[in-house]
Amino acid sequence: MNNKVTFGRWETITVLLNSMGIPILLGFPRGMVELGGTAGWLICIYITVLALALFYIISRLYKPFEGMDPLDLGERIAGNAGRIIVGLIFFTHSTFIVSMILREFGEDMKVIALTVSPISFVQLFFITGMIVGAYKGIEAVVRMHSVVVVLISAGVLILVIFVMPFFKFGNIYPILGNGPEKIFGTGFFRVSSFSALIIIYMVFPFIKSHEQFRTAGFWGIGLTGFFMTLVTLTFIGVLPYPISLEQFLPVYQLSRIINVGRFFERIESVFMLLWASAALLYLSFAFIIILRIFQKAFKLPYYRPLILPFAVILFTLSLLPPNVMTALNLEAIFFRSYAWLTTFLFMIILLITARFVSKKEKGRIKT
Amino acid sequence: MKKLMIVLLIASLLTSLLTGCFDRREVDELAYVMAIGFDKGKTNILKITFQIAIPKGMGGGGGEEGGGGGGGDKNSMVLSIEAPTLYSAINMANTTVSRQLNTSHAKAVVFSKEMAQQGIDRYIHTLIRSREFRPNMYMVVSRTSAEEFIKSVQPKLEGNPAKYYELTLNSYNYTAFIGNTQLINFYNAASAFYSNPVATLGGVNAFKSSKDFNLNDSTYTEKREKYPQEGDFRAGGITKYGELKTEFMGLAVFDGTKMVGELDGQETSYYLMATGQYNYAYWSIPDPKVEGYFILLNVKQSRKPERKVQMVDGKPNIHLKIRLEADILNIQSGVNYEDLKQLPVLEKSAEDYIKQGLQDMLNKTSKQYHTDICGFGAEEKRKFLTWEEWEKFNWLSRYKDSTFNVDVDLKVRRPGLLIRTIPSPTSEGNMEVQNQ
Repeated sequence: MNNKVTFGRWETITVLLNSMGIPILLGFPRGMVELGGTAGWLICIYITVLALALFYIISRLYKPFEGMDPLDLGERIAGNAGRIIVGLIFFTHSTFIVSMILREFGEDMKVIALTVSPISFVQLFFITGMIVGAYKGIEAVVRMHSVVVVLISAGVLILVIFVMPFFKFGNIYPILGNGPEKIFGTGFFRVSSFSALIIIYMVFPFIKSHEQFRTAGFWGIGLTGFFMTLVTLTFIGVLPYPISLEQFLPVYQLSRIINVGRFFERIESVFMLLWASAALLYLSFAFIIILRIFQKAFKLPYYRPLILPFAVILFTLSLLPPNVMTALNLEAIFFRSYAWLTTFLFMIILLITARFVSKKEKGRIKT
Repeated sequence: MKKLMIVLLIASLLTSLLTGCFDRREVDELAYVMAIGFDKGKTNILKITFQIAIPKGMGGGGGEEGGGGGGGDKNSMVLSIEAPTLYSAINMANTTVSRQLNTSHAKAVVFSKEMAQQGIDRYIHTLIRSREFRPNMYMVVSRTSAEEFIKSVQPKLEGNPAKYYELTLNSYNYTAFIGNTQLINFYNAASAFYSNPVATLGGVNAFKSSKDFNLNDSTYTEKREKYPQEGDFRAGGITKYGELKTEFMGLAVFDGTKMVGELDGQETSYYLMATGQYNYAYWSIPDPKVEGYFILLNVKQSRKPERKVQMVDGKPNIHLKIRLEADILNIQSGVNYEDLKQLPVLEKSAEDYIKQGLQDMLNKTSKQYHTDICGFGAEEKRKFLTWEEWEKFNWLSRYKDSTFNVDVDLKVRRPGLLIRTIPSPTSEGNMEVQNQ
């Protein structure tokens, strides 16, 4: 991805925050409660610390490979075959997540606003946004993030402030919820919630330096962790366990409760605006990343001819699950158990191997 | 490229314009339901009553004399349908009403007492699941049928019955005779494993004129009082006559989602104090020195209540400390309680009065109704580490064995505009009080 376009630190942080934070607006808080019960918020802190630690290892390993994305690393290790294999792994990972999230957003929109419209029709809005974003290019979408994500974050904070009158501290007890085993044992796999961190690996060629990559990564994870914890804690405090287990869309449900006097009702309409903005930004950016992975994996000169066919593929894939429960289940299984394998474990293995190969090459040159 | 961008621009514009294709709903094609009533049906499982707004009759602002049935344009109409479920009733109603029923502006859900006593779990889930029903709707249990109650809602000051529900059901902030019984609060309390829910008690006043007044429904005798206080009533029994027939006073107490008892207005005030939801209200405290006279206070809750639970021999021992502040509104007897030496007598008297009431309310809800409506379980829950342990502990089954240690601290802060009371002299040179 040799490009003249470069991203600043702030832009990278906002892209990361939106991409990793998008599940917060979907079922993430409920997922935390399902695992940890009243201690769901503790899991958020735990996985944030884990993600920071894992990213620290990755950033250290990445130092000699400034400006290289995973595909470049794959090429260094095993030439064209390595690049294609790594590309296909990341392509599959991203395509699966994006198609499921596209379906979820479509279904959610149908549940809360467009109840009569067919799901395919609702999803067309998002697909159109993704296509427009892809045609405008990565720079436009990233620049947009730097402004809109601030507004979305402010919206989430305002929402939290407004539901505070309904917050009851008693609801967060028993403090260990479903037990330490669930929190710190099974909870480990929930580090998969940060799976969108692969974005920072993919945009490394656009980032000025390794130092910037490192700082943006830490800030991105930290801020996402903060919002994950804040929203999950608020959710548990407002809707006591086990009622919190029932909620399909936790943040939407919270926004419905807000009622400040007779003039300030139905805040969910504002929430929907934030929610749709976050979804469009995320989907557009993720779509560009998917296109770029494919383009680079197969050394294609342009990605634009891929936009329409890939949009159709994503659209079709998203409609494969027969119902929203299956879509949620697939996404949940992936996020809960496997996404960390690509984002963290595979990346660490890739980087260690690349280092090993580099050292070997250097040794060979010396001799 | 330019052509492509134009195509995309048109596509983007169309996406926003096409939103009306499937979900287009014009405001003037919708019939807004303001209240929904649930009764036991005669020919079917349910009798659902809808109070539907008539926008034409509401025009002209809040102060307009509309009055559903009270002359002039009607501002609402009432429709009762027997059906097996709520949604089947909505479907059936849509065949009669020209506009499509929409419940997104509904303010109150009214269950008849009979329904509430049988359990309302299955209906609550319907309300919570649907996006159209607001979590801020108020839960009301009517002591008459829900249909009769809704038919009787004919506000005189408000052109809009929805506003009537909203303002009246919010009056707990300054009367303390009803609770904040929003649907979401009810649902949370019913499912939280540490508390039980309450709903506002509604009723239709039965008195045809002020000559018919009686105290049959007053609770003052149960409390061993000589006179009924303002809170010693439940909805429907208030000694009141006027054009407004509907009343809200007291609480319906639930065990899970089954109604097990009632609290009167004053007990509701104690409930609000114990849960920290009490704002302010006027109280008539019997004068400690002169029998038959009252001291009128405006009592506020200065701090959240202190609540502690200790398990003694497997039984909950609950400590409750209430801190109140009061302003004097009147001292009927003329005794100079404003004097710094006399003030503690007044404070002690008010404290004892409220303390006794709190104690009685707590005993009634725990011993008689076996329900923790004040949510003391939340205090005990803090001592558990895991949910499994807490669930096994089964707080709600232990609550009936609770003992209560209530402490009330009331401080009189202001005397109003009079710093001392001087009784009026009679022609005999005595004060009125001395003549008693």
